[in-house]
Formats: sequence, structure tokens, C-alpha cells
Amino acid sequence: MTDIPLIRLDDVSKVYHLESGDVTALDHVSLDIRENDFVAIMGPSGSGKSTLMNQLGILDVPTTGSLLIDNRDVAAMSTLERTHMRRDVIGYIFQKFFLIPLLSAYENVEYPLILKHKQRDTTGRAREILQAMGFDEKLAAHRPSQLSGGQQQRVAIARALVNDPKILLCDEPTGNLDRKTGLQIMDILVGLHGKGKTVILVTHDPKIAEYAKRTVVIEDGRVQEA
Amino acid sequence: MKDIFFELSVRSVRLNFLRSLLASIGIVIGVVAISSMGMLGTNMQLSVKEQLSSNVNTIMISSDVVRTTSSAGGPSTSQGVTKDQLNDIKNVAGTNTVIPIHRTNTEFTIGSRDGRGSMYGLDPDDIEKFLTVENGTSIRGANDAVIGSTIASNFNLNIGSRIKVGEHDTDSRPTVRVSGILQSRGFSADGINTDNAIIVSDEWYTDHFGDKDLYDQVNVIVEDVDTISDVEAAIDEKVNRKKDVVRIMDASSRLESISQTLGTITTFILAIGGISLVVAAVSIFNVMMMSVNERVQEIGILLSIGTEKGEVRRMFLYEALILGIIGAVVGGIMTLVIGYSVVSAMIGSTAYFFRPESIIYIPAGMVVGMVVCVISGLYPAWRASNMDPIDALRSE
Ligand SMILES: Nc1ncnc2c1ncn2[C@@H]1O[C@H](COP(=O)(O)OP(=O)(O)OP(=O)(O)O)[C@@H](O)[C@H]1O
Ligand SMILES: [Mg+2]
Repeated sequence: MTDIPLIRLDDVSKVYHLESGDVTALDHVSLDIRENDFVAIMGPSGSGKSTLMNQLGILDVPTTGSLLIDNRDVAAMSTLERTHMRRDVIGYIFQKFFLIPLLSAYENVEYPLILKHKQRDTTGRAREILQAMGFDEKLAAHRPSQLSGGQQQRVAIARALVNDPKILLCDEPTGNLDRKTGLQIMDILVGLHGKGKTVILVTHDPKIAEYAKRTVVIEDGRVQEA
Repeated sequence: MKDIFFELSVRSVRLNFLRSLLASIGIVIGVVAISSMGMLGTNMQLSVKEQLSSNVNTIMISSDVVRTTSSAGGPSTSQGVTKDQLNDIKNVAGTNTVIPIHRTNTEFTIGSRDGRGSMYGLDPDDIEKFLTVENGTSIRGANDAVIGSTIASNFNLNIGSRIKVGEHDTDSRPTVRVSGILQSRGFSADGINTDNAIIVSDEWYTDHFGDKDLYDQVNVIVEDVDTISDVEAAIDEKVNRKKDVVRIMDASSRLESISQTLGTITTFILAIGGISLVVAAVSIFNVMMMSVNERVQEIGILLSIGTEKGEVRRMFLYEALILGIIGAVVGGIMTLVIGYSVVSAMIGSTAYFFRPESIIYIPAGMVVGMVVCVISGLYPAWRASNMDPIDALRSE
């Protein structure tokens, strides 16, 4: 059981077919990520980091090769199954926060619970998680546009956590924040890793990468593990 | 249960309130158009039917040849139902009432005011068989006339008033004396519309207009309405033996053909109202596409964190439905006012406005308006739900 990793990429390639020719964003990538791992992914711009994260986040499927997440083959899943995996198994934290602008901070956190249970949250879980991120009742009623970047990212983390996913995917989570706020966010991620989450983090900043247990370097779509 | 997708739609509509309102105006107009048009048609049908159904026991017989001219003193070249044919009809009709009718159109003068209306020549004994004299008496003297209620009120005529009859340019115009005023009859199914008419004795008529023994119309009033088609067939058999010389109609078939025509008119004006709904559909479609295109990134967020395609679709269909509900409710309320005014202006009576057949057009129009909105939102909603989440997230 334990010898099957949580995430296994086996010879995964991703090719974009453009009019100007084919772009190989991922070139025969093989990578194992075990449960409760903390992986930093680094590499120059355009090297394929986001493309890799999109595969891991089941927002996209590999052109060739196989990807297993939580013991399931992504290529064999239906669209609806992929949607449910995104909802239940993965939490996303984006560089640009990507909160739903029409919903309050609280509703943004409650939203994935509603997706899962098809009803408003009556357990108080959304409120609890948001409180743990330092939000009082009043601040929780604010819309994203009324919050600072650091506050928005904390709402995004709360939203990512609310369905208790195994995997947290963070594509440059500190990229839009100042240094101090960025480090606060990193502290939160370290804490979550400590609570058993598998954290995968894309960053350009070697200081940020130091928080991870290991670093994977990508160049021209190929993995060069450090 | 408070549906989060409905909530999102409400907020989206509220955020773009003016735009949504403008798009809804199209639906308001569409709903008002089809509802009031439908009501107008129905009220028209109802009021005509009601007026006509009082004379369903009457058979109308007229010459199959179109009547040409007939004027006071002038030569008569017209065709009509002849004396022989009338006798045939009387024979066949048995105990049913047969009423031969002379009719023309004429100018008349009352004091110094001129008018134009129908002139009927009837046997004085026949008048009260199917007409009601409300004031005064029926025709007794040679120069007596009974007149319709409209003519009486328009010209302030009383019993004893004098009317000069005949075309204005003729030298000596005969005068009749009003002996009675008829009850209002409206548009009548037996073809005798007396409200704007002067009725004189048949003798007086033929003395001044000619056409002795040649009738413009013969009405047979049957005692038992169930026998009407038998009597009709018998008359046809007898009079139209060799070839069709007279046209035989009964009030009920006329009623049917009139309501058929009115039905066609109703459909036609409904279709015109429908065009405004097509325009409304285009504006809703447009606003929905705008809403989808403005919210691409938001759609990307929803899809990437695990929202099902069907849920995204539902969110946009709700939005279209909200626009539809706003439009339909406002449209329904406005139809009460506008439809009422249109019906009262065009038909002159709102007696049938609140009848179920008529008032049903308000909820029906509202439902159609909402359905049109949702249909207009189908493609935009489908488009939103089928976006690629990665592409959608990347868009600004
Ligand atoms: N949807 C797409 N269509 C075509 N080419 C794409 C697409 N997405 C990515 N690419 C290409 O794939 C390569 C890898 O892109 P990717 O976004 O993964 O880089 P990255 O490592 O995340 O860069 P950055 O650090 O700037 O975010 C690039 O050459 C990019 O142009
Ligand atoms: Mg990237």
C-alpha cells in the first residue's frame, strides 16, 4: 500500500499544437510524490512548471504517459470524475488568489463545501477554518476586492482546505505578495504540511524553496531533481 | 434552501443592474405586446359572438348576383329575390316566419344636417317580429318610419321628427315622420343592422326607390333552431333547383365564419406581438453573452476548484431566468393597464376583459416571456460551462 506514491508521473509529456509548430511543455517527465511530501518546483520562466501543476491539478491531461493520483489513472476518468477529484482531493492556491469576486470571504470558503454537499454549510467548518486564518466575523463579510493581498491569499488557503484535500497545489503563492506577507503565508503552508498535507509549491525564490523538504528543478520541460 | 448559484446570479444581475434592466425592457415590451394583442383578439371575438348569438335562428336568403345600383326614382337594374322565389320560400318555410326585406343606402337630411345610412323597407306587420320599438310606435301611417338608436341620438331625433330622404341632388326629396325609435341592436347576425338605419313600410320604399316585388334579402326565422339546417336544405332544394340563384346562409354559420376570421386576425396580431419577443430574445442573448465574456476568469475559477459543468450552466440559466422574471412581472402588470386601454379603445367595451379566456393571456404572456429568456440563455450558458478552465483562468 505505502509503496504506491500519492502522485506518480510516468513518462509524461505535454505537447501544445500551435500553428507555428509544436511546443513541448513537458518532455518525458517521471516523478513520484509521496503522501505528506513538501516539494518545491523551480525553474526558469517558460520551463513548464505551470504546465506540470495543471497536470497534477487535473485541469489538463498528459498528451502521452500516465499520471496516477491517489491511486487513480487521470486519463481514464470521466470529466465529472475529474471535477470531483478537483473538488475533494486537491486544494489550489494561486498566485493571483482567484477568489470569486461576487462572494464574501466567508462564502468563498463555504463554496467548496456547497459543491460537495449540495447545501449551505451548517457545520460551522467554513467559519472555523476562516477564523484559524485570522478572520473575524466582520472581516469575513468583506468581498475580495475589499481585502489586502495577504488577506485574500489566506481566504484562498482556507477555501483550499475546507474539503480537507490530501494535496495542496500552490503555483507561486507568494508571487503577488511582499516579502513579509509571503513569509507569513509560507508559515501557514509549513504548518499544514506538519498536519499531514502533501504540499507542492512552485516558486522562483530559493529562500521560499528552502521551506520544502525537496526541490525539483525543471528546465525546458525536463526534470532535473536537485 | 438558498442555492449558491442562484445567489451568484442575483448578484451578477445586481452588479450590472442597468444593463440587465435594459435587456428586460425588451421582454416587458414583448410580454405586453403578445398579451394585449391576444386579449384584444379574444375580446373582439367574445363581443362579436355575444352580439351574433342572439339571432342564430335566422336564415338569410339573398340574390346570388351582386347588386348594382338603386336610387330614388332612378331605373332599377338590380337583381334580387323575386316574388316567385319569395313564394317558393314561403311554401317551404311553412309556419316559420318569412320576412322579405328591401334595403339600400341613402342620404338624408334632418333640419339642416345631412347624414347617410341604411334604409330598410319592411312590411309594417313584420317589424315587431324581430325588432323592438323602444320609444313610440311601429309604422302606422304611410309616411311613418322607425329609426335606429344611433341615428336617433346622433341627430337628436324624437317621435314626430321629420327626415328628408334621398340623394341630395334630387329635386323633390320625400319626407318621413319618426313614429318610433328602436332598441340598440349592435352588429347583428341576421344581417339587419338597424342602429344607423331608417325603416319605412315596404310600400313607401317601393314607391320611392322602385324594386317592387324584388327583395334584397329574405329572412326566415325558424321556430325551432334545431330544424334550421332542414329548412335551409328545403329552401335550397326548391329555389336553387336548376342553378344557384339565391345564396342561403344562416346566422350560426355566419357566426362561425366570422369567428374563424377573427381567430385568424387574432393569430396574426399575436404573431406581430411575437416579433417583439424575437427582438427581446436577441437583446437577452446579447446581455447573457456579455455576462459570460466578462466573467471568463470567474468561470475559470469556478471550474478549476471543482464546480460541475451543469452547475455553471445552471448559474447562467438562472441569470437569464431572473431577467425573464423581472421582464415578465413588469410586463404582466403593464398589460393590465395597457391591455385594458387597448381593449377599451378598440372594442369600446371591457365587459369581457376579465373573462378567463381573455385574462389568461397575461400569465400566458409572462410564461412565454420567461421561456424566451431561458432559451436565449441556453447557448451562453452552454458556452460558459464548456470553457477550458486553464484558458479561462489565464484570461484577464
Ligand atoms: N495553453 C498553451 N498553449 C500553447 N503553449 C503553451 C500553453 N501553456 C503553456 N504553453 C507553453 O508551454 C511552455 C511552458 O509554459 P508554463 O506556463 O508551464 O511555464 P512556467 O514554467 O510556468 O513559466 P512561468 O515561470 O513564467 O510561469 C511555454 O513555452 C509556454 O509558451
Ligand atoms: Mg507559471
